[in-house]
Amino acid sequence: MANPHNIWLIAKREYTERIRTKAFIISTVLIPALMGGGIFGVAAIASKSKTTAHIAIVSAQPQPAQDLKHELEHGDDTSMTVDLVPPGDTTPLDQAIANKQLDGYLVITQSPVADGASHRPNFDFKPRSSADIATSDSIQSALHTVLMREYLAAHNVPADEAKALMDPVTVNVIGANGKHTNSKQSFFVAYTLFFLMYMVVLLYGMNVARSIIEEKTSRVFEVLLASIQPDELLAGKILGVGSVGLTQVGIWMAAALLFAAQAGAMSGITISATQIIFFIIYFALGYALYSSVAAALGAMTNSEQELQQLNMFLMMPLFLSMGMLPVLITSPNSLLARIVSQIPFCAPLLMNFRISIAMPQPWEIALSIGLILVTIYAVLWISSRIYRVGILMYGKKPNLPEIMRWLKYS
Amino acid sequence: MAIVSLQNIRKVYDTKVAVEGLTLSIEPGTMFGLLGPNGSGKTSSIRMMIGMTVPDSGTVSLFGQPFSRSLLHRIGYLPEERGLYKKMKVIDQLIFLGQLHGLTETVARQRALSWCERLQITEAIDKKTEELSKGMQQKIQFIAALLHEPELIIMDEPMSGLDPVNGALLMETLVDLRRNGKAVLFSTHRMDQVERMCDAIALISRGKLLLSGSMREVKSRYPRNRVHIAYTGDDSFLRNPAVVEAKLHAGGAELQLTDEAAAQSLLAEAIARGTQITRFEVVEPTIEDIFIEQVRASFGEAAAEGVTVDG
Repeated sequence: MANPHNIWLIAKREYTERIRTKAFIISTVLIPALMGGGIFGVAAIASKSKTTAHIAIVSAQPQPAQDLKHELEHGDDTSMTVDLVPPGDTTPLDQAIANKQLDGYLVITQSPVADGASHRPNFDFKPRSSADIATSDSIQSALHTVLMREYLAAHNVPADEAKALMDPVTVNVIGANGKHTNSKQSFFVAYTLFFLMYMVVLLYGMNVARSIIEEKTSRVFEVLLASIQPDELLAGKILGVGSVGLTQVGIWMAAALLFAAQAGAMSGITISATQIIFFIIYFALGYALYSSVAAALGAMTNSEQELQQLNMFLMMPLFLSMGMLPVLITSPNSLLARIVSQIPFCAPLLMNFRISIAMPQPWEIALSIGLILVTIYAVLWISSRIYRVGILMYGKKPNLPEIMRWLKYS
Repeated sequence: MAIVSLQNIRKVYDTKVAVEGLTLSIEPGTMFGLLGPNGSGKTSSIRMMIGMTVPDSGTVSLFGQPFSRSLLHRIGYLPEERGLYKKMKVIDQLIFLGQLHGLTETVARQRALSWCERLQITEAIDKKTEELSKGMQQKIQFIAALLHEPELIIMDEPMSGLDPVNGALLMETLVDLRRNGKAVLFSTHRMDQVERMCDAIALISRGKLLLSGSMREVKSRYPRNRVHIAYTGDDSFLRNPAVVEAKLHAGGAELQLTDEAAAQSLLAEAIARGTQITRFEVVEPTIEDIFIEQVRASFGEAAAEGVTVDG
């Protein structure tokens, strides 16, 4: 009954008009720039932010004050300015703190009996602000390093052995394919894909609803319905808007792959072909499902404001999916994780997430895809009926019994 | 063969009866005026003609065949409220709408350009719809309805919002199309246009057909009982019992008499009373007169006060 040529024309118009808009170009460029920039920015800031406080060390002996000064000024995470002060009246130091020339001072008091490591000196730190945890933490860890090194030196352990002892331990995580994986990175990739899908499904689902409202308020569909059927209009719209979404995701993926080829080795972040293929499958399914719901919402409402009130129908399953993330992360193959990732409205996000972090059984993937397809069919059936009647209704918002009656119209 | 034939159409929205027992037929090559007050069911009837809504009972036939969507390509439709994509360029929009009616892109473009020229809006071709004036948008919409050279043109309130110059231009276009053998149906509240241009009319009120037929038929059903009179001096002749209604204006009056014959005696009385008569004309009722009379009758005299004559 539906004419594919009409669907094609509607889809083509939606696609070409949307892809030309500034909003599309800006979001295509800006969203990855902001996301990428944000992630790399945080990483860069985290790695570069060394403590730069200015403190004083009050000590009668040169050791361990000298070593501590060296550690604090040239350590891995610290580049402080440290003054060594002989013990005596601390009033000038308090004065300096009050004048904000000094961030704090550390008083080292040797205990009377010095019998090695079991008897440490007293360390009293007086910071300008007691909330300055970073500085006191740095001092604490620097002290630990210095005292350990001193103790090892005192027991005649060679310097290189001492260094090896104090190096942090690394645990190699072996992936299912036998290669080294980095669980942080695979988690990062899964997380990014999750939010990408979340964002794009919501964004383009809402675009379908908005596009319907636009045609409704501008009464364009009255002209369209004089030549084509509502079902063709609905199908063309969903396909057209969805293709825009796929184009956008495609551009992002291509850019990410290009970036990965250039800098992937350095960052160690890899996206496998499996991840990309499943992402696209689940994106297409998720989008079709959510946009069908959005189409019904758009047909029921008369303005964007009214649409906002009904948004929760789209948002709730997405929020539920997000709430389920901790469960999936800690135990991706638990019963709860298996069940929630079969719920059709959550499956596109959650099953895809599980695929990224721990490949589920093939039947689970097949079942989830089947369930989504059945749901899409059911939702489209309802939506197209609501759409057919709803787009010709203006003015008052329909109540539930009215919507139920719409479903009976053929 | 009637181009459009509605048989006993009924449409109910929830509890409101929009159209009730409407029977109507439009002959080929006619200019058909659909008249009725606000909310009388004109738009509902038109929507059923083009299958946008389906009647609860009754049948719709187009071009002598029962309604089917495949016949829609032979119809050009201009909706009551203009509908165009605001952000789309005029030419793209016209091509798109033409393609939906089965034209190829080339043909659609060619016809769109020649129509724009004919309606004097060539400067709008490359603009977005939202940049255009309301009148221009209307012309675009008008063109969109005609691109596929339909045999039947259905226009819901085509003249609303147009200035007299553009209104006349569109009317001329419709007259040309009729001359070329197309059937044109339009709803309007401009009675003077109906009077001058329509071959046939239908008047509906509260979802029911009050009268329909060719212009001559309709008018011949009403007596020539209207008098336009211009006079100076004594107006006591207006109290003659034959005068049913008198609308007074500066230097004259429009009268409705009980019957045609009363005109002569009224004139005689006026002259006898010494009134200076400068003009005395017996006329048939205008469509507007018929319209008001019929609508008032359908609503009942008590409710008639609230009836406005605006289509």
